[in-house]
Amino acid sequence: MSDRPLVSVRGLRVVHRSAGLFARTETTAVDDIGFDIARGDTLALVGESGCGKTTAARAILRLIDTDAGTVAYDGTDLLALRGEALRRHRRHMQIVFQDPFTSLNPRHTVGAIIAEGLIVHGLARGAEAQARVSRLLDEVGLSASDASRYPHELSGGQRQRVAIARALAVDPEFLVLDEAVSALDATTQAQVLALITQLRQARALTCLFIAHNLAVVQSIATSVAVMYQGRIVERAPVKAIFAAPAHPYTRAMLDAVPVSDPRDRRTRTPLAGDPGTAGDAGGTTPGCAFFPRCPHPAKDAACTTARPALQEVAPGHLAACIKPHANLEIM
Amino acid sequence: MTPLLGVENLRVAYADGSGERRAVNGVAFTVDPGEIVALVGESGSGKTAIALAIMGILSNNARVGPGSAIRFEGRDLLTLPERNLRDLRGRRISMVFQEPAAALNPVMRVGDQVAEVAIVHGERDKRRARDQAIAMLDRVGLPDAAARYKSYPHELSGGMRQRVMLAIALLLKPSLVIADEPTSALDVTVQAQVLALLLELQRESQTAVLLITHDLGVVAETCSRALVMRNGELVEQASVDALFHAPQHEYTRELLAAMPRLAPAGRPA
Repeated sequence: MSDRPLVSVRGLRVVHRSAGLFARTETTAVDDIGFDIARGDTLALVGESGCGKTTAARAILRLIDTDAGTVAYDGTDLLALRGEALRRHRRHMQIVFQDPFTSLNPRHTVGAIIAEGLIVHGLARGAEAQARVSRLLDEVGLSASDASRYPHELSGGQRQRVAIARALAVDPEFLVLDEAVSALDATTQAQVLALITQLRQARALTCLFIAHNLAVVQSIATSVAVMYQGRIVERAPVKAIFAAPAHPYTRAMLDAVPVSDPRDRRTRTPLAGDPGTAGDAGGTTPGCAFFPRCPHPAKDAACTTARPALQEVAPGHLAACIKPHANLEIM
Repeated sequence: MTPLLGVENLRVAYADGSGERRAVNGVAFTVDPGEIVALVGESGSGKTAIALAIMGILSNNARVGPGSAIRFEGRDLLTLPERNLRDLRGRRISMVFQEPAAALNPVMRVGDQVAEVAIVHGERDKRRARDQAIAMLDRVGLPDAAARYKSYPHELSGGMRQRVMLAIALLLKPSLVIADEPTSALDVTVQAQVLALLLELQRESQTAVLLITHDLGVVAETCSRALVMRNGELVEQASVDALFHAPQHEYTRELLAAMPRLAPAGRPA
């Protein structure tokens, strides 16, 4: 059983419903996505704003309701759990949010924020909880004396370290990092990324790392799933995504990353159009959601008649494109 | 060449409760006509305070220190009466902000916001201002510009709103545009579009650009020279090539090391 993935998502669908004044609108934020994360691995879920990556993560953690699909956690169907059973499972899964300024309670001290999970889950109290808070602060690169400080006294990077300590307090196996370094300055971002890498190894964590920047995930992920308008359009081991992107959207995202050396400047034709929001095209048009922006669509009408399914283009490398190698031809 | 902009010994402090917090501490640099200069730094380094000082729009609790000067086209902006500043703003110097959603007027049609620049600067014929605005919206890549003229900001995507901001900033072909993190709030594929557009417009109108950014990738991609700020001080200024290949200051090296970059395999040729 040891090769069973820790997290296994199948056919996950989340529909946002809003009741407007004149009509009810439905948008499919997450549209039939699936993936496995093996123990100790890190899957990066990458895409632009509105692609559904955050919604997917929240649905997996049962922070929001789902409309279809299954999420198996170590073989247990999370979506079927209720009450106490769900609460017990929650201990194993924790999340770090993007914005360290809004995700920490401003009226609680750092110590109280980190200890809350310990107390709620009955893992420690009193002096024992305090001792564990001190150890956690040390583990994330803060000092034990920071426990008496309030979030507003800390920098963005320090707050994000507190958020990480809070997530780790209950000794989770599975950690979701939702754009956890996106709001930080470059030098702080590099430090927090290094901390995450180190904690992941030291604690043998399994991670879902959500990001909009492919350059950030290259060093941290074992595999990458690229989302576009609610769907996964490409999924592959990290090396394959960067060395041989098969979907034109993945390729365009890579191409859009600014150069890291002015000598590498080149003229390029940026991908036109906006990423749009999941649900804009989802379900309303039969064809590929990326078709309106695609620089190399098929010559016949194939791209507009059916939604391409994920298919294997190389072992373990899936792409949802009817001519997935088209982009390789022009390389 | 006489510099277009000459910032001399600029000091800006903000009143902060009982005391003062220094945001900019004796900064000096120049920008030549048509040049793209990066002002690089992390949050709190003082880069935005410099931009606001140049534009003359520092908040009321800010104080510019004695001995500071901002020379632009031969005049010291710091001693210029507000009336003259208003004439310069939008016509000779303009600014693009990070958040177009916050910088645009939410209850005014985007086309009117572009046309307003022409009207404020003396265009009496509303129809001509309108035509000029439509042409500019078309130039910045707003699809179906004549129809989109009537859109409100919330009806446009973030990328389209930033295109509208560029239309406003570049309508009267100013000699200097200050762009404060113009693409930081945008998605990566949209950032690439907006940067490409900014460069095209810059080439067409020979405008100088002071590009404020925390992203060294954006600097590598677009600028010819860079100024590195830290804690209100300019710690290094160099050509972009020298900055990336022979950084002098320890902090510049730190910034370069922290830059998220694609490994060679990550960039398809």
